[in-house]
Amino acid sequence: MIELYAGGVGLWAPGFADVAAFAAGLPGPAAAPRAEILPAALRRRASPLAQMVATAAAQAAAQAGIDLAAVPLVLGSALGEIGLAVTMLGELRQGEGLPSPTRFHNSVHNGPAAYVSLATGNRGFSTAVAAGSETPAAALLEVAALLLERGGEAILALADEPPPAPFAPARPFPPLAVAIHLSARPGPRTRAVLRGPRRAAGRSPDLPAPFADHPCAGGLALARAIEAGRGGEVRLGPAGERGWVVDLAGGGGP
Amino acid sequence: MHSTRRAEIPVLAYSAANALGTDAGRILEALRAGRSGLVPCPLEIPFQTACGLLPDALDPLPPRLHPFDSRLCRIALLALEGVRPSVEAAVRRHGRERVALLVGTSTGGIRETEAAHGAWAASGRLPAGYDFDRQHAFHGVLEVLRAVTGASGPAWVVSTACSSSGKVFAAGRRLLLAGLADAVLVGGVDTLCQTTLRGFGCLQALSRTPCRPFHAQRDGTSIGEGGAFALLAREGEGPVRLLGAGESCDAYHMSHPHPEGLGARLAMEEALTQAGLPAAEVDHVNAHGTGTPANDLPEARAISAVLGDAVPVASTKGYTGHLLGAAGATEAVLAALSIVHGFLPRSLGAEPVDPGVTIAICRAAAERRVRTVISNSFAFGGSNVSLLLGAA
Repeated sequence: MIELYAGGVGLWAPGFADVAAFAAGLPGPAAAPRAEILPAALRRRASPLAQMVATAAAQAAAQAGIDLAAVPLVLGSALGEIGLAVTMLGELRQGEGLPSPTRFHNSVHNGPAAYVSLATGNRGFSTAVAAGSETPAAALLEVAALLLERGGEAILALADEPPPAPFAPARPFPPLAVAIHLSARPGPRTRAVLRGPRRAAGRSPDLPAPFADHPCAGGLALARAIEAGRGGEVRLGPAGERGWVVDLAGGGGP
Repeated sequence: MHSTRRAEIPVLAYSAANALGTDAGRILEALRAGRSGLVPCPLEIPFQTACGLLPDALDPLPPRLHPFDSRLCRIALLALEGVRPSVEAAVRRHGRERVALLVGTSTGGIRETEAAHGAWAASGRLPAGYDFDRQHAFHGVLEVLRAVTGASGPAWVVSTACSSSGKVFAAGRRLLLAGLADAVLVGGVDTLCQTTLRGFGCLQALSRTPCRPFHAQRDGTSIGEGGAFALLAREGEGPVRLLGAGESCDAYHMSHPHPEGLGARLAMEEALTQAGLPAAEVDHVNAHGTGTPANDLPEARAISAVLGDAVPVASTKGYTGHLLGAAGATEAVLAALSIVHGFLPRSLGAEPVDPGVTIAICRAAAERRVRTVISNSFAFGGSNVSLLLGAA
């Protein structure tokens, strides 16, 4: 059984500036993600998704007391830069029929992870994965396999924005980025012990609407449980036979 | 740490489909003959360029998978054909849940989404039968491969632009070493589409004529479509082995490589370290070699720094075009062909070679023993992967 140690969590969603605010269930006024780790010139060019990921990842790293420049980053996103992709589809029919160069290079699925690497000077490991409603479990498995191989620590970031018209989903979800610091070993800042993920048929992650329909809902449920210091089974989604869960034990410093 | 021997991953089977042919035999024949698959691009785009195409008409998906039908999935099934019996055997031997699926793609099903968006702009309605979740989204191809092969272990898409399907070999290696799967189908697939052709066009990264990697007057790359798959396993004997897979970032620029190829160096060095192999024992490099002015010189410097100037280096982009999300897996298969069949391809279009390039570019095809090959793939966002393959 894989065992990982969570040392910090981060979040950005409209009205929620961090995981604590979300766990308290009290939305504030919607403010843009601060993305403070991005130097001004990079922040101006970064997509909304990249700014969300940079914000959440920096919170998780700060809480765990680690340097984002020195740890691997695994980004899970079901749809990636779908907003940029759809904007480009419009651009292809206007003027010269070419997209904006910045929009094009930003539109890659690994764009948000790349902005974190650029901002921090991190030349180590980073990747970007997608698996539809299994995205949170897939990204967590990628982190687990990475840490089993080389030890150390990593940031798991999960983020999606809703696809714009005409591809908006029947059950709308808000933009959301969540990040979790994970380590192969317990440390002084360990907040929770994760075992898994493992398959378990069941219901969707236990979250209020509209977050329950978010492709990264499982990541949000996990971050909230870590924040609350709650033990037990956390559903990563999806509902049904192909579901995944993680078993969580709260606290547990060395 | 795992011992060197244990970290060697058998590659039980491989297959590919691209502009050179729809199976490994035809692809090998074209490489040996030095025959490019690149042709003038027939898609409606506002500039001239060459590209690598598969036939226009590809077999549709089986009826039960019709909602997932897309050119991407059609290419995936075509490219899968050569490894499918081995994957089915792995499912029978290890059980469905123990066979994982990792696919690299950059385009996903955007080709269908481009058409659907056009229809919506004209009529205000998306076409009947268009399904964003099943045709556009990356996980559609996972559902199709799961249904066709029966493999139902962990499955995800790695999408890091042009390094995507090199990185699935690295991720597959980790799943096997961690004991999270007994076999992993890894591969990559991308389609030609308006978004990438016009996107690379707007960056002035496309040549009007077939690309000429490492050439003194190279003026851009050529895009291709295609797919490639390989079956990695914890045990067994296959034609080649995955000895190492190094991954790094440039941390330099979103679409320009580090001028000295620092990230590329780190990826190659990590692959060698994992393999426990001295640089002098690398027999051949299948370079990323896109043929853009920006890529080739930094890559040549990185190869020179890590492996020296004697190792024969070829880019195969002049044959297939740049397969983007499918490039890593495709070139891993070409590297495997070099090992299994004992030959080095000519680096098509390279002469006269850029005088700044000090490494040994393959100016002619050669028949010789090849025990180890490094295959490089570099991407937007500064994402790098180097695969090290060796003879079984």
